[in-house]
Amino acid sequence: MTVKKLEKAAFDKWVSACITSQRVFGVQAKEDRFVFAPLANAADLRLDYDVTILPPKKYFQPPRETLLKFDRNEGFESVFDNQPFVLFGVHPYDMVAISQTDKLFSQEHCDTHYVNRREKATIVACDVQNASKDVFAGCMGTATVNDGFDILITKIDNDYLVDIRSEKGQALAETIKDAEDADDISLKLRKLVWADNAELLQKHKLNVRPDVLPKLLGRSYEHPVWKEKSERCYSCGSCNLVCPTCYCFDVRDDVEWNLQKGERYRVWDGCLLAEFAVVAGKHNFRANRADRYRHRYYRKGKYVPEKIGEVACVGCGRCITACTANIANPVEVYNKLVDEGK
Amino acid sequence: MSKLKVAFFDFACCEGCQLQVYNLEEEIIDLLELVEPVEWREAMSDQSDDYDVAIIEGSITRIEDEQRLKAIREKAQVLIALGACATTGGVNNLKNNFDMQDVKECVYGKDANMPHLDTYPTKAVNEVVKVDYMIPGCPINIKEFSYIVRCLALGKEPKIPDYAVCVECKMKENVCRFEYGEICLGPITRAGCDAKCPSSGMWCFGCRGFVDNPNVNAAKDVMAEYGKTHDDLRGKMLLFGSKQEFE
Amino acid sequence: MCKCDSNKDIYLPLPATLGKVQPMTNLESFFSCQLDSGKELGHMPGQFVEVSIPGIGEAPISVSSSPTRKGSFEMVIRKVGNVSQSLHGLNAGDKIFIRGPFGTSFPVDDAMKGKDIIFVCGGIGIVPVRSAIQYVLDNRDDYGRVIILFGAKTPSDRLFVEELEKWREDKNVTLLETVDHRDESWSGPEGVITTLLPLVKIDKDNTVVVICGPPIMYKFVIINLLEAKLKEDQIYLSLERNMKCGVGKCGHCQINNIYVCQDGPVFKFSDIKDIEEAL
Repeated sequence: MTVKKLEKAAFDKWVSACITSQRVFGVQAKEDRFVFAPLANAADLRLDYDVTILPPKKYFQPPRETLLKFDRNEGFESVFDNQPFVLFGVHPYDMVAISQTDKLFSQEHCDTHYVNRREKATIVACDVQNASKDVFAGCMGTATVNDGFDILITKIDNDYLVDIRSEKGQALAETIKDAEDADDISLKLRKLVWADNAELLQKHKLNVRPDVLPKLLGRSYEHPVWKEKSERCYSCGSCNLVCPTCYCFDVRDDVEWNLQKGERYRVWDGCLLAEFAVVAGKHNFRANRADRYRHRYYRKGKYVPEKIGEVACVGCGRCITACTANIANPVEVYNKLVDEGK
Repeated sequence: MSKLKVAFFDFACCEGCQLQVYNLEEEIIDLLELVEPVEWREAMSDQSDDYDVAIIEGSITRIEDEQRLKAIREKAQVLIALGACATTGGVNNLKNNFDMQDVKECVYGKDANMPHLDTYPTKAVNEVVKVDYMIPGCPINIKEFSYIVRCLALGKEPKIPDYAVCVECKMKENVCRFEYGEICLGPITRAGCDAKCPSSGMWCFGCRGFVDNPNVNAAKDVMAEYGKTHDDLRGKMLLFGSKQEFE
Repeated sequence: MCKCDSNKDIYLPLPATLGKVQPMTNLESFFSCQLDSGKELGHMPGQFVEVSIPGIGEAPISVSSSPTRKGSFEMVIRKVGNVSQSLHGLNAGDKIFIRGPFGTSFPVDDAMKGKDIIFVCGGIGIVPVRSAIQYVLDNRDDYGRVIILFGAKTPSDRLFVEELEKWREDKNVTLLETVDHRDESWSGPEGVITTLLPLVKIDKDNTVVVICGPPIMYKFVIINLLEAKLKEDQIYLSLERNMKCGVGKCGHCQINNIYVCQDGPVFKFSDIKDIEEAL
């Protein structure tokens, strides 16, 4: 649609206007790291962040989410969260992940708990200004993004280009509709930012094209790497939990003290956790650490791609940072499969 | 539905877990709708031998304790071990790393050999009697306690997590303590505490005991990468975990 | 993103009422059930439902009756977890809540038509298969020979005892039974279920086999069938996993790339023989 160009002061003013009129979550500092959190002041917004501890999936599929309320005599009633909100500062790789999860939750049996929240969200994406230490989005083709968001912000010198792409984006940008349009030079500079980011966001170098991963994994099921790496795996699930494309969940019931009313909720789960594949008779269908460790790579690199046609690793590098045992680096594992397949 | 008669009994401990139940504050009224306490030293002066559920706090460190606990077990239909001391031995385990005579002399000096001060290596409750449910933690997580009470009232088997504290810590979006160069026991410690310590800027002390299948060897292996030694790790694990495998 | 009604909820269980409730063994009880909406469940043999008891939870349960038997549907539930334990405490007239039916079904209307059918059931594996057996018997003329092989651990673990007797007496059905461990109440054969297979004359080009039982059983039964020159696409089996959401989202029932709740629980053997985690 249109690309506006705002100076820092005008940009902050616009963010402030958004905050007064809408529920806004934006990237902010938390100790030495960054997180998405409710945004109270434009000054707190840190679009210069490298990566957030958790991806923005927490707003579409919260870690603990009530699905149903029940009364033990009357039965169940759906609980939907329909409050609109704005998400400020989604990096391209996270945007790609959101678009993937959109497909997974809406295809076949549509999960309206997810979809309702997603449709109420206005996403303001932003191009990466500082690469995190483990990012490899440049290898996954996700250093930049061209769709899924409502607005895309790119910082050019001291100015912000605000690329408005949807009706929701237009509504959010109402107060800057009279701002000047981005000039050709700025737009050219933005292309340079994109080209640079594709190069810069490669702190780990994948020696294979991502679209080859399903094939590569197809011949690597018995590779020793799974056992080797998993010997150091705590099965703590950190790699799952921080992953923008992991969406597995557990469903639980709890009652109030009156034992009459209560809720059914879902919580994040992870295929690395020991009990993930346990059935009611206590048999564990994936009891070995190595099998669980391998399953994650196969989900990202083969199983989900077979479902949606895209590799379900967006190169955010969060798993690499989060894994204290230092075994969760997908690039390292995939490269190993490439090298030894030669 | 008739209320379950519940008795709290304390052994070697600080009684802080009982206090947590007390800290339910106004929710205590809800709790009392479900259960009838018949003995609860911190909250009432009554005592009773007539109870369905015995909640045991503290660890077992003397032969008299052992006899008392066995008598309680015989009377109770359900026995719950409450808190770290009862479920794993807790900090009381520390003395198990020393010679008992040295321990007694260190604590009691010249009275060390007085018969009423006799002590033996700390045992968790389940090393003495059959335990039906364990509620870990130092102190217990009162939300988890409440959930377990409601489960029992519903006739449902409560679920104590068998995954690491990291799960809850990640959900809280805490900065990992390892990033600050600290040894955190989160990766091997049983969750259920809502990652309280890491969420308050502290490493995990492992007070809830380890998950069923902790990868302790991995933990040892990983230390070097953070510039730590096995002894550093061992030191952390001793505080609450000395009952559980290390070597 | 999606055109569906935003108030539709794939996780919302609907009320149903228990009809008959009857203990069958120490562990298993029989339940008949009717949706409060008055509608038929609309399942096919082999499919499962998610049964909820509010506050206790939800569990995947196979439907054990055939859709040809109208009015209510039946389940046999083993006491193994919170939901099943709680169900065992319920009585006729009590409410439960149902989602589904979910998953694939035995090919009673296509691959099985006109063929000899061998049902191989181990223990509780007879529960989902009974739905297909009933379906086949209710449309008896559409199939060739009907052979039922059933193996239980002990005589007291046998399920559907009265129905087994009916099948035994039915001239249009061959029923062969065995138990792993005999006691004084049992004069029939003793041994694992594979010992029954050599007793069956298999028309290798004209037979479909349906298998359901404990994980260990599949391997041995399948080896025997392949030795009898049956082809991999003549064998169907039903697999158990933790089908938590039933709709292919939660990830718990995944076997490599397949979701048992969607792509299964009934699989053609040729479709899963190369799937590492399947058998």
